[in-house]
Amino acid sequence: MAPELSTPQAKSQKAMTKAERRELQERQRAAKAAKAPSAPSSSPAPKKGPETSAKPTVAGSSKPPKDAKSAMPSIVDIDAGKARGLRIFSHFGLPKPVSVGKGDIHPSIVRLALLFSSFKIAGANARCIATLTAFKTVSYSRLCYTSKQHTFPPSHDTSLPQISHLVAARPMSVTMGNAIRQLKLDISGSDIDLPEQDAKDALCHKIDNYIRDRIIIADQVIQETAGSKIKDGDVVLTYARSSVVEKVLLGAHSAGRTFSVVVIDSRPMLEGKRLLSILSSAGIQCTYLLLPALGSVITEVSTVFVGAHSLHTNGAVYSRAGTALVAMMAKRHSVPVVVCCETYKFSESVQLDSFTKNELAPVGDLFSSFPLTKPRDALMLENKPNLEILNPLYDLTPPTCITAVVTEVGVIPQIPSALYHSLSADCFELLITFVLDHRLASCSHSSHSLFS
Amino acid sequence: MSAPELHNIPGHRAVETLVAKLRRRQVIGSREAALETVLVLRQVVARARFSNIKQLIAIIREVGRRLSEAQPKEHTVGNTVRRVLHNIREEYNTATKGAASASTRNVYSISKFVLQGQPRKHNVALKSEATATLKEDDPDDPDSFAGGSSQCSWRPSRTSSTSWKPFTTTSPRTQKTTSTQSKSADARFPRSIHHLTLIRSEIILTIGHSRTVESFLKSAGHYRNYTVIVAETAPSYSGHEMARALSAASLSTFLVPDSSIFAIMSRVNKVILGAHAILANGGLFAISGALLAATAARAHSTPVVVCAGQFKLTPLWNLYHDYGALDFADPSSVLGFEEGGLVDSVDVVNPYYDYVGPELVDVFITNDGDHPPSSVYRLIKETYDDDDHEL
Repeated sequence: MAPELSTPQAKSQKAMTKAERRELQERQRAAKAAKAPSAPSSSPAPKKGPETSAKPTVAGSSKPPKDAKSAMPSIVDIDAGKARGLRIFSHFGLPKPVSVGKGDIHPSIVRLALLFSSFKIAGANARCIATLTAFKTVSYSRLCYTSKQHTFPPSHDTSLPQISHLVAARPMSVTMGNAIRQLKLDISGSDIDLPEQDAKDALCHKIDNYIRDRIIIADQVIQETAGSKIKDGDVVLTYARSSVVEKVLLGAHSAGRTFSVVVIDSRPMLEGKRLLSILSSAGIQCTYLLLPALGSVITEVSTVFVGAHSLHTNGAVYSRAGTALVAMMAKRHSVPVVVCCETYKFSESVQLDSFTKNELAPVGDLFSSFPLTKPRDALMLENKPNLEILNPLYDLTPPTCITAVVTEVGVIPQIPSALYHSLSADCFELLITFVLDHRLASCSHSSHSLFS
Repeated sequence: MSAPELHNIPGHRAVETLVAKLRRRQVIGSREAALETVLVLRQVVARARFSNIKQLIAIIREVGRRLSEAQPKEHTVGNTVRRVLHNIREEYNTATKGAASASTRNVYSISKFVLQGQPRKHNVALKSEATATLKEDDPDDPDSFAGGSSQCSWRPSRTSSTSWKPFTTTSPRTQKTTSTQSKSADARFPRSIHHLTLIRSEIILTIGHSRTVESFLKSAGHYRNYTVIVAETAPSYSGHEMARALSAASLSTFLVPDSSIFAIMSRVNKVILGAHAILANGGLFAISGALLAATAARAHSTPVVVCAGQFKLTPLWNLYHDYGALDFADPSSVLGFEEGGLVDSVDVVNPYYDYVGPELVDVFITNDGDHPPSSVYRLIKETYDDDDHEL
């Protein structure tokens, strides 16, 4: 079904109006419903659809919703397969279908959702910045898009479908949640009598400020603070790829310190390869190994730097799967573990283990993380009878394994949860404001250059 | 004792072939290495010319030295040689007991053997009770290893002859027995051990592909219904083979990347590992990643069970862990040549094995029963002769 429809559609996709597009989707849905019960043999066909069409979709900037829809049956199949497995894994966030949203989904959000679901944009910071940037676009074009029931500032009703569409693509990151919450607060606080264009400008300005203050300048502060912990001759170990850690290492290198880096990596993402190429092209002496080999090098390491997805009030760090293993081994060998984490990644919730909240990466070799030397038929790339493949994306590092958390407001030692509580409350905001004022005064030109 | 030159030893061609194979890493893995060694020793002994046990032992030692020098990290090669030497001495001991006690007391008296530090009395006592049939050779008897808990499955076949001449005929047989044992040591576990280790609807974590663990889990699957989580164990991704084998045996199997070992450990009831070599201090060498799994298990207070055949017992003490103890493999499976320029500028490390300390292991399950790490040294004393520790 996919091939016969895709050719005319791909051409006309951009030109079509939304109504036309929706009509087309309805037609497809009807056709699929008619086809499905009659021919069970045709079920492999839609399965192949998303695989073959995913790459061109992502490469081009236009996102035909049709692809998203055709992805649905295959994932539903997987869901049904998972259901018979162990129940303890059933609640993990599975790769969900990128469904057609209920409300009006802005094209930039549709595009972003596809980028998220295909892991083209991954990482807490990158996702948060991309989301905020997309919201900026949405808020500017909101008038032309929902002309009839237009209200500005965008109310809860109109922004919700956009967000839920993103969440459907991939579970929302804590950073996105925090940013959106802040955004909603800003919107609700804005003056209702403000002219529309001014309100939009104000909103976009607030978004820009958020990105600048909480992410970009925060990273600069962390880069300086954490970089000062690297001494000449150190062996720094890092796991996977964190944008902050990358900046810290590059910053310390450009500050003239000589140290070597051990990059640990693991499936399913193998993000460390990218970090490795960045670091080694910057001239840093690097060693690369996969996670199982960690035990043989940990004794040589002087500091471990890792990034975080979020930091919970009990002091636990929720981060890329494998971070907990690295921290555990480092702790066992008395190697300090430093977590680089901006304050906007702080989560109000408490998490006790990696099971309560997690996310699964898609099954198969999506990230081409298996070695090419390994014959593909020797690998299990899909679920079989009695066999299920789970690729958890995150794990939770217990606070006992963490030596220090470097934030833009300073280095926090491994502290009892109560302090995190007080930190995440008002006094924390004060701290941030204080530090940011200081920073803005001192490095205003550099931040300007970042935005221009 | 003057060591014979290797080229004077009959069958040295087979020895040289195996030496080359070990050097070229064509024989990898404790099991393969042990089996190959047994076959070579069998050839050597069958053709050996000697007039007393001293010469025979010298020949085997020379062969063993050559083989273990070829690949010192394949500990099972040395273990097999030591075991064969032990069997020969025991055989000799039994065969000459009558004659020696009578008049011709030579330098190889029983008393000397007894004084060598093994609890030999125990074995001797058992021999007198043992029946004439070779229990180990009976493939259908499930109790052949489980039955006598103290009966070593590597026990050599015995001869009723009182002269030591029949060595030439019995020794190959001895080694054949040893060979079948090292094969079946994998497959045979006392049924009681399954009861001991696995209960219904447990979740087991294992890493890599150990044939011993595979057969253990498969045979336990006959009595118990449980779930196995296999970590895929980069860069060999041998966990995929394991998952395939287990799911084909209709065990409920999950395959996870190595990175999620810590995440799932809180739901795992037991960790079962295979071993490359078990050391005298109770630690072990195992596929890289075993240390991660064992440490994560310790962090969650999850028991760690090691399944290994007795031929992996190695009379070595590894009291520290450093590069010298490791063996490194081809890095191209970690960072392939498709990465282009990266390959030139970075170091890539790909160790075969991890050293897992005795404090991380709860129990060793061998074909000779289950032992805590603290009693492994004693097991080794019983398995090998002290003078063979240095080949």
